[in-house]
Amino acid sequence: MTESRPLNIPVILGTTRKGRMSEQAARFMVGQIEKRNRVKTELIDICKLPMPIDDAGDGIKDAAFSEKMVMADALVIVTPEYNHSFPGLLKHILDSCLKEYIHKAAGIVGVSAGPFGGVRAIQDFLPVIRELGLVNIFWDVNFGNVSSAFDQSGNLLDQAFVARADKFLNELIWMAKTLRYGRDNIALDS
Amino acid sequence: MAMQKNKIICPKCGAEMNHHADKLIDPVKPEDMKHVNPALGGVIEELHYCPGCGAVASRRYE
Repeated sequence: MTESRPLNIPVILGTTRKGRMSEQAARFMVGQIEKRNRVKTELIDICKLPMPIDDAGDGIKDAAFSEKMVMADALVIVTPEYNHSFPGLLKHILDSCLKEYIHKAAGIVGVSAGPFGGVRAIQDFLPVIRELGLVNIFWDVNFGNVSSAFDQSGNLLDQAFVARADKFLNELIWMAKTLRYGRDNIALDS
Repeated sequence: MAMQKNKIICPKCGAEMNHHADKLIDPVKPEDMKHVNPALGGVIEELHYCPGCGAVASRRYE
């Protein structure tokens, strides 16, 4: 297995809404990934990406975002739940790439103002993740009642999320390593 | 359907890339229509990955 390159697991903050609480969740996940050995991460805020609406898919591909997806081994996607689903602008951005995602791992972090932690958004998201060629893990992190999960400065108030994120990342890193091994070594016709 | 046998050489590092997936995609542009496999209902895109540097490449199955 190629071990020369550390794993690369960026965190995508999937909302542009002002006052978004998902940002605290995304920054928390970045912090948890940074504790792992030989795993690189960064926050990718879709608010900072060019987002033309006069075309879609490959037609709006941003070279910098595409390169980040190429170099990613897995994605942590932080999504709020808006009207029982994930934000349309998050899909608009994700749809701009395809080959960049194939046989890479994904894990979803759901965020909601109410108690359910984005579970309906996640369920809605899974068919999209699958069609993009990503392999979603069976752990999620669900930030329900998110306004009580962090203080005004974004500090975590409920330490249970550390253990939940730990389990989530254990699985995501295992899947990322396994899929990189496959991309490196296992040909489709073997 | 047999895969195309000629390997892709990584444009970034020169390593031989691994063909690890075929993806069925919907034709979007008019020129895509000539690549549609009617039995499969779309265009087959080959996905290749570089074990050396992590680059990705794709090509249409011809």
